[in-house]
Amino acid sequence: MIYPPPLNLVQFSFLAISEQYLSILTQTPIRLINYRFRYRSPPPFREIDDLSTAIESSPILFPCHFRAVFVNFDPNSYTADQLSISVQAHMAKFAAKNSPACGTCASNVTVSVTLDSNSNCISNGNNVDWKCGALNEFKFAEKHEDGLLDEDFASLLDNNSGAKVYTVVAVKTEQEEVRAVVGKYRHAWIMGRIFEEEAIEKIAEIFVNVFMNGGKEEGLIHGEFMPLGADGRIVLSFNLLNADPHNWIYDWDFQEIDENLLSPVIDALKPLADVSVESQVLYHTPKSSFSFWDDRLDSYIFSTKDLPFFVNSNEWHLDTSVAAGGLSKILQFVVYVPSAKECPLQLQLPNGEISTTNGFISPMWGGIVVWNPSACLTDSKIKHPLRYKISSEDSRKLFEVFMGQLRQLFGLKSDGLFVGASGTSILLASERGFSEWELDVLSRQHSCFNLLQCGTTLGSLSRLVQSLPRMIIMDDIGKQVKYSLEAARLTLSNALLGIYDASAESSRQARLLAEDAFYHPSMMSVSYYSFEHCFAVYSPFFLPVSLHVLLAVLREWKRYKQESKKYYAWKAK
Amino acid sequence: MFKCCLHSQLQFRSETSLESDHLMGSREPIVLIFLILISTYESSAKGGIAEELNEEFTEGLLLRPLPDRKVLAHFHFQSSVPPTRIYGRHHHLFPKSIYQLVNKFRVREMELSFTQGRWNYERWGGYDPISSSSAKPPGVELWADFDVPLDQVDDSWRNLTHALSGLFCASINFLEHSTSYSAPQWSFHSFAGKLRYGTLPREAVCTENLTPWLKLLPCRDKAGLSALMDRPSIYKGYYHSQRLHLTSDDFGTAKSNAGTMLEQTLTVVLQPNTLGARAMVSGKTLQPSWSLNSLFGRKVHGKCSVSKSSNVYVQFEQNLVSELKEVRKKSEAPESGILIHDDFGNNTIFEMSASPDRVVKEVENLQKEDSSILLEFLVEDYNDSKPFDLGLRWKLPVVWSCQQAPLHASRFLMGSGNERGAIAISLKSLSSNNTPTVGCCEKGSQLRINIFQVVPWYVKVYYHTLKVFIDGELQSTMENIEKIHISPSEDKVSPGVMEMILRLPCGVITAALTLEFDKGFLHIDEYPPDANQGFDIPSAVVSFTDFQASASFEDNLLNKLPILNELQERKHVISYTEVLLVPLTTPDFSMPYNVITITCTVFALYFGSLLNVLRRRVGEEERRLKSKGDFK
Repeated sequence: MIYPPPLNLVQFSFLAISEQYLSILTQTPIRLINYRFRYRSPPPFREIDDLSTAIESSPILFPCHFRAVFVNFDPNSYTADQLSISVQAHMAKFAAKNSPACGTCASNVTVSVTLDSNSNCISNGNNVDWKCGALNEFKFAEKHEDGLLDEDFASLLDNNSGAKVYTVVAVKTEQEEVRAVVGKYRHAWIMGRIFEEEAIEKIAEIFVNVFMNGGKEEGLIHGEFMPLGADGRIVLSFNLLNADPHNWIYDWDFQEIDENLLSPVIDALKPLADVSVESQVLYHTPKSSFSFWDDRLDSYIFSTKDLPFFVNSNEWHLDTSVAAGGLSKILQFVVYVPSAKECPLQLQLPNGEISTTNGFISPMWGGIVVWNPSACLTDSKIKHPLRYKISSEDSRKLFEVFMGQLRQLFGLKSDGLFVGASGTSILLASERGFSEWELDVLSRQHSCFNLLQCGTTLGSLSRLVQSLPRMIIMDDIGKQVKYSLEAARLTLSNALLGIYDASAESSRQARLLAEDAFYHPSMMSVSYYSFEHCFAVYSPFFLPVSLHVLLAVLREWKRYKQESKKYYAWKAK
Repeated sequence: MFKCCLHSQLQFRSETSLESDHLMGSREPIVLIFLILISTYESSAKGGIAEELNEEFTEGLLLRPLPDRKVLAHFHFQSSVPPTRIYGRHHHLFPKSIYQLVNKFRVREMELSFTQGRWNYERWGGYDPISSSSAKPPGVELWADFDVPLDQVDDSWRNLTHALSGLFCASINFLEHSTSYSAPQWSFHSFAGKLRYGTLPREAVCTENLTPWLKLLPCRDKAGLSALMDRPSIYKGYYHSQRLHLTSDDFGTAKSNAGTMLEQTLTVVLQPNTLGARAMVSGKTLQPSWSLNSLFGRKVHGKCSVSKSSNVYVQFEQNLVSELKEVRKKSEAPESGILIHDDFGNNTIFEMSASPDRVVKEVENLQKEDSSILLEFLVEDYNDSKPFDLGLRWKLPVVWSCQQAPLHASRFLMGSGNERGAIAISLKSLSSNNTPTVGCCEKGSQLRINIFQVVPWYVKVYYHTLKVFIDGELQSTMENIEKIHISPSEDKVSPGVMEMILRLPCGVITAALTLEFDKGFLHIDEYPPDANQGFDIPSAVVSFTDFQASASFEDNLLNKLPILNELQERKHVISYTEVLLVPLTTPDFSMPYNVITITCTVFALYFGSLLNVLRRRVGEEERRLKSKGDFK
């Protein structure tokens, strides 16, 4: 017979104590983790997910108000309501061509139409304050200057109500040539011998492609890459690079450029971004790409395929500014003065022509202009380098190129022409760099882009937090996420109401808070309790214990085999 | 015992000023001379600035043979910009990053130095302007004075350290903790509470710090004198110190319109490459001959195109000049005892590869003996086809020694063990008679010495144990201290700062200060990597306020050259003491794991034996044993 081993009281108490010890050993880290969990304030995952799905499924769209004024057209052929409907139908046709991009107008587009002929004045809609017959006071035939005409229209259409209404005035005149011009404010005009159908199509195209989408074409910079920092600041850093000061040294009067030319642009951009300007002159800064001499063009040539290697980041220390915080965007604008060995230096376009601006942009980085000094043509060897100053005429030209580059970096057109399906329209350039309707487009896109960015940032934050359940999250982060969500909701409601400025402002806030939460210092040091650590601590205990257990099991098994053999032997007996 | 210490520490906290009246009378003649000099200097400086309002950049290099067969090279670059309110904020030469730094943090004055090696005060001199301004403690030293309200100074300092750390690729950001910087009251530089001072004695200095420093120069190291800075040659030297000094009066309401000025210097002590055996003439070894090419491995190909002036100077010190005269007297017929200007290119004692464009003599205002001589070479005339390579070849052996500071300062640790110790600062007068003991000893007056010392909090200094020994004898402390200011350290908050003016009798040979301290304990997280190496106590600053390290030159036109301006600047004679290495008790960092292992082993043993006991069947074993016994 086999008896179970007797368990005396002493042994039992030992077992109990050991169990208690074991529990202390194993429980401590778990308690520690629990203790840490108390400091964890989980971000509102569901709300974040709701927001990001809402943004991704339907891009935010703004309500837009349009107005078409037909002057000198036959009042009997169409009524105002008919015109309005047909303009809307054409607009829908144009809008259907390209999928609704972020930051454009929603389906709740209102088009009001005014018919102004000599005898009577008919209009539909209620927000029309067109002074009928006022246009006749102006002598169009005498005014060929678009700029002056633009001012006249501006005074005519001046509405103090504050609502942003885009207007196209179609004027039927005896001129053969049909001329379409988009002004600096929020209006455009079409003039010439034009029929209703033609006018309607043209008006609809200007509404959709210019006022709504900013006159963009395929291949230009997409609106999402707007060079704006998360805190809504841009630093424009202007650099004059003298490739080899042994040949000549060029200097500029940037103070004058800043005061006379740049300050209106900065003022214009104020609702969109806080722009600051800085400048420096650098020496001994050769480019890093090669150029070759072309006899036919009588100059050194660098082609478009060399452009990625033009910027010499080893020698061009275009220092990132101390003044700009970590979230600001810096745009570099570089004037490159070539050395005597490579002068004059020209940029050759892929079609073999020479670039007129002699410059190029790099999206989100900035722009470069090669400026050939007049001295390089004289080709005289000078022993001591001469100091020159870039004349104010030349610096004005350079600045115009830079302005075009800045507009391109913002995704706007720089050539002042819009080529549409129904003909070409002229885009008047503002002396402030950006016209009002362009700024509207930018601020719509900016708020949309900010909201998208905010959604993705919060989304990745919530995914990160969910994937690391042991991570500690400070209360600050939770608060920032909460405020960010609130600002995002405010943006959406402002966008619905059509308040562009306020929605841009709150979207900026939402993005800034989201980025702050994501880059919070405590998130950087992801200090969580790893399982490897646990293993390292307990292996000195569990390894010897498991050895004992294994040995005991082996012995028991041996004994069992032995005993069973004995038992069978005894049974066989 | 401990309480008593604290009590006396508190007593010391209050500033004690022990100025005595009879001292003032004895210094009157010197003071008068200084006043006159200062006023003439100021007027000339003002006249220079009022003329043009433009950014300027100048470069200069000063070479000086040293008595111990080495050569000192002192590069000096200066960029200046007129004040913003007149000139605007767009620059053509001045580095943008520095201008933005000054404006963002409202820095009134700042000095940052990166040093490798220790300046040998005994051999390389301790009295001249270069040793006072460019001899710096090892590692990084930074001090800055801000133009912000008192409560914002610490924030500005923290931001500045981070910005500089990014700008110079160095760990200057470690100076942001309140334990690592201090606010000297009056001893270091006199600014009303807005000055912060911090050092990192263990910072390794290398090319990654030099490259951003060079970026601040308009020509970087592409052209001009900075093209000489061949990295291997510079860093194999015995001493290397790069310095950046910034002054700005953009914010002040002061009427002076000096604007912002950035002064960058690089001081290196190099050993000329003497191939083979040392040349011997009549049983004495010749001083090594050198040239720019042999020192740096490069030549100067013209000046930096945008610099206003670009000069190289060779300086013969006062003692060397008198020695040269001696040698000439011996070797030649008694001609004229004075060195004539024309024979500097080639004379019987030495030979220079180029003849100097100008020779400038120092005007000695106090001694009528020989004065130091500067040979000026203009780099402008040289170009790629004709590079500038200055060489100096000695023909006769010359032995001389440098001008010394009034007293040689050194600092050391006393005591042993990990519990307590003592810091001693010893001041020794060097036996040679060439120390200019002017201003002292004439009417039995006293020598005033300013000592500034910062001690980290884990070295707990008991300031009441301060003892002063003069010529080996213990003196009463109060009699010899004119003014003292102590702010005791606070654990993990602030370091201990001691500022004092020591008054020593004339003709003193040795003086010593001792301070006892206890070594503190750090938390395990606070130990730096490699804690067993020990902890550094930053250098103490010893300045001799009665002595001015400056040279004035005969030519008034030279005032416009910044490198000579630097030599003429009126500064106290300053020397830095050694960095002390204090070994602290370091814990066994593997202890937690040892404890875990031991505990686990004990538990495993216990568990094993328990398991064994539980598993064993005593009755069965007894039966088996019995049956075995039966077999037997």
